[in-house]
Amino acid sequence: MNLRDKLKHANWQLILAAPIAAGILHICATLAAPYLTAASAYSRLAPALPVNKIQVLRPLAPGAEPLPFLPADARYAMCRFDTSAGPVTVTATLPPDPGWMLAVITRQGDNVYAAASTPGRATPITLVLVPSEEYFLGVTPEARGIARNMEPPVPIAATRGIVVVRGPDMGLSYRTQVEAVLKRARCSGHSF
Amino acid sequence: MLSHSALTPIHVVLHKVQKRISMLLALLGDWAAFTGIVLILGLGTSWYMIDIGTPLTTERQGPWLSWTSAGRADADPYTRAHFARLGTLQLSAEMTLTYVANTDSEGRRLHSSCDYSIEGREPGTSWWSLSVFDDRGELIPNTARRYAFTSQSIALRPDGSFLIALARDARPGNWLPTGGAGRLALIFTTVDPSTPLLAKPTETQKPLPAIRRIQCR
Repeated sequence: MNLRDKLKHANWQLILAAPIAAGILHICATLAAPYLTAASAYSRLAPALPVNKIQVLRPLAPGAEPLPFLPADARYAMCRFDTSAGPVTVTATLPPDPGWMLAVITRQGDNVYAAASTPGRATPITLVLVPSEEYFLGVTPEARGIARNMEPPVPIAATRGIVVVRGPDMGLSYRTQVEAVLKRARCSGHSF
Repeated sequence: MLSHSALTPIHVVLHKVQKRISMLLALLGDWAAFTGIVLILGLGTSWYMIDIGTPLTTERQGPWLSWTSAGRADADPYTRAHFARLGTLQLSAEMTLTYVANTDSEGRRLHSSCDYSIEGREPGTSWWSLSVFDDRGELIPNTARRYAFTSQSIALRPDGSFLIALARDARPGNWLPTGGAGRLALIFTTVDPSTPLLAKPTETQKPLPAIRRIQCR
């Protein structure tokens, strides 16, 4: 059978359908990949973290890393939050030194909020984490005729995830100071 | 050969069965080829784009590779899948940039049996760090308990540049131990809250350290 005959007898329906089916499989495999992995950052960290409570992690050491490729250039405090029973308030004050960060990361790995320290002044942060469908946080103090004496909290919509406070490792002499700042961070749940 | 008149009913039935089997086999062959092509093309391209990345999702500067929308809520599905599979905690690419190097500047795989010099200048961001891991992302045990250098812990030269010796045995200056880890991965992180969110990648691109192989054992 020569090439002409082969082309004549080829199943053109299948040949044309192959790239379309491959494209559909490519899209499905890519979209499903994050949900099929059993070792996402959240699933690795969640068992060791209490719910709605901040925990200062021990200094990273070989054999005791909570996650792969987590740089040992910082100390970490983490809070596994769950807003299904009510909003969660997160407060922290980032010192004026460079390298401090606070991030809110959802279960899917999306960084929905991030703040870094500002040189020359401390950065106070107050967040209210609310379920994705819940944005109403009640009547504001101004609406009730009460003067506000603090910055209004920033509402963030996220149901489950992890709050990470990251303090740079500035050497042995600063270790206690960095740990004290991490311990002052708060994460607390409230009922509706 | 049997003449037409010599064909018995059993021969006719056998001939029909043989013809149907050959048709079925041809059809099965077509479907097997179809399934194979679909699996290879569909899953292969998905794996490549998730695991290795393309210029659509990554930015390469010499040996350093960065996923441009890492950690962002509007990240593309490939970036999302990449970090979910890796199991790492990504801070927003709007504020931090993380570069990974698995090779030296000449494209040779980083290995603990070789010594390297990492030379660069301060990237001009408020804070940066350079960490070394084995290829599974674990810290490398060493007696100095040193796993990273940061902008606060590194000894800079008078002109503001730095040199880090990546080696198994102790070196003078900024020494980052590699022990007997085998294949290595370097992670260079910069934190820059002043980077404009809408800046184009070329506007925010900073020169990254060069990784040179000195010798191998």
